[in-house]
Amino acid sequence: MIFKKRTNSESILHKRIRKFKGMKRGYYSFIILVSLYLLSFLNPLLINNKALVVKYNGEYFFPVSKYYPSTTFDQQGYGEAQYRKLDEQFENDNSGNWVIMPVYPFHPNESLLGEIDGEPPHAPTSLHWLGTDNRARDVFARMIYGFNISISFALIVTAIAYIIGITIGAILGFFGGRVDMFGQRFIEIFASIPFLYMVIIISSVLQPSFWLLVTIMSCFNWVGMTYYIRGEFYKEKAKDYVSAAISMGADNRRIMFKHILPNALTPIITFAPFALIGNISTLVSLDFLGFGLAAPTPSWGEIVNQGISDIRYWWLILSPMGASFTTLLLISFIGEGVREAFDPKVHSRLR
Amino acid sequence: MSKAPLLKVRNLHVHFPIFGGIFQRRVTEVKAVDGISFDVYPGETLGIVGESGCGKSTVGKALINVLRLTAPDVEISGEVFLEDNGEYIDLLSLSRKEMNKHRPDMQMIFQDPFSSLNPRMLVGDIIQEPLDLHTNLSQKEKREKVAWLLEKVGLSAEQSTRYPHEFSGGQRQRIGIARALATEPRLIIADEPVSALDVSIQAQVINLMMDLQDEFNLSLIFIAHDLSVVEHISNRIGVMYLGNMAEVGDADDVYRNPKHPYTRSLLSAVPLPDPKLKNKRQRIVLKGDVPSPLAKPSGCGFRTRCPLAKSACAKDIPQLEDVGQAHFVACQYHEEEFPVE
Repeated sequence: MIFKKRTNSESILHKRIRKFKGMKRGYYSFIILVSLYLLSFLNPLLINNKALVVKYNGEYFFPVSKYYPSTTFDQQGYGEAQYRKLDEQFENDNSGNWVIMPVYPFHPNESLLGEIDGEPPHAPTSLHWLGTDNRARDVFARMIYGFNISISFALIVTAIAYIIGITIGAILGFFGGRVDMFGQRFIEIFASIPFLYMVIIISSVLQPSFWLLVTIMSCFNWVGMTYYIRGEFYKEKAKDYVSAAISMGADNRRIMFKHILPNALTPIITFAPFALIGNISTLVSLDFLGFGLAAPTPSWGEIVNQGISDIRYWWLILSPMGASFTTLLLISFIGEGVREAFDPKVHSRLR
Repeated sequence: MSKAPLLKVRNLHVHFPIFGGIFQRRVTEVKAVDGISFDVYPGETLGIVGESGCGKSTVGKALINVLRLTAPDVEISGEVFLEDNGEYIDLLSLSRKEMNKHRPDMQMIFQDPFSSLNPRMLVGDIIQEPLDLHTNLSQKEKREKVAWLLEKVGLSAEQSTRYPHEFSGGQRQRIGIARALATEPRLIIADEPVSALDVSIQAQVINLMMDLQDEFNLSLIFIAHDLSVVEHISNRIGVMYLGNMAEVGDADDVYRNPKHPYTRSLLSAVPLPDPKLKNKRQRIVLKGDVPSPLAKPSGCGFRTRCPLAKSACAKDIPQLEDVGQAHFVACQYHEEEFPVE
């Protein structure tokens, strides 16, 4: 925008944002979810088996960002230093050395087989809040890392699928006629391919990495958005401001993306939270079926899968189910608020 | 007018094909504009009147070539010549890119001020857009020009930082006029620019348009269905009926001395404020409705409702003929009196 905004001149979008902020349930859910998600990027500092700072013989070490073999601290064994043991050792020997561990000192991919008695999975204790899974990995750590991965995955897939869907829908709606006719038929054929089976087939042939899964999911997720965008473009292009843009000599791309698209955002924004929900659920179900992200990536679906194999390990079912339930509920609240904020009706039920 | 015309429209046809059946074959077409010709001279206002559905708005939209957007199958034929440094360029034969070079010469004011401004853009950005597209001015110069334009149309420069929904209908129409003026056009097509406004606002907007026309020496094609508005603003008037031009002539001449039976009946329906004059006037009431442009009557389009219709009217489409003083009528029986009921 070239002209500076005056305080009393409010764009439609600003009005809607203000309305959304008035919707307490949705707005607070939004704040909670966004802060949790941002916080989860600090996971390596909060939930990790590597110490944040080690003081050893007058020197400072920062193991979070650097690898130190165990010999650095004159520790027994091979490979990386065992910081939890180091912490214990330093506390006992009063040598003036110390270790600052993260708040929750377990790594999601680390097997705790030697440290806990009994056969995995271990039930929750005060040390391991949600117990361990069948490879003796800490469930709480895996849950939190899985949260970050699920949300990132869903956001990226939604964004890519939206870009594809919006572009194709815009082209169909704007040009109409034959382009629309053939485009629609192609989309109908494409949409009839069973998505889940395609993902399963592809991931059984190729080793599914994060980005491969993102690509596959995006390729199959854009179809729904084209219908809405196409409809919006049909509606908007008949309005005179589009004719005015043509008569000014604007080219098609400028008309489509500068003039029409900002007026066609309603379905995009109102569907986004629900698309997120769908993508999180899909990732969980793929992981559950074993066709999702490659092991040992922490994932909710994989934990459920372990829990299903023996119902006595209730923490393996309840924790991922509870986590996904809470996440999806928060996003639903956000979606509900956003939808309400975009509703042209002034009075709202959600206050 | 002795000068060379700015715009020459020759035999313009606009047909919207209708497709039907399983294979979407072409069944028939709507002949929205069916061969009309007219000239527009520099600095004059040509009023185009006619009832709803006679194709007057379609003519305007065909001239600036925006029909294909909502009707990709539309068929436009004929010639639209725009004068450019003494040469005439057929706009219909140009590609869209070539056409864009001539866009600044020809701008349009739209009927509905509520949909003709993009609701997501600031008023200043709306008016500035034609400058972005057609000039190399610096940002500062563009902003100055926008402020100047806003003042020209009776708004203030500070209002450029507002959104269209903060304005009334009349103000929005002024913004539309400012946008049309931004490229310094020679011809403005005004498609019913005042029919969506209150009567008091109509007068303001029309007077503004007339002032601006004098100031910038604009030619204006003024499309409207309100006869008194058209009489007020136009130098010449074209009367359209069912996609054809029924009568073209000087405004005074057409109003005082209408020739075509349709024009005569149309003008007899204009409300008169003086009851004495009103009672003296012969009121011509036409029978029936306008035929559908899907099934136009053969020959003269008006013959189904014309009190003067003869069997010969069904044969040939009447052409505009000169009846003197640059007054053209498309009816060979225009001198006959109407039968008194």
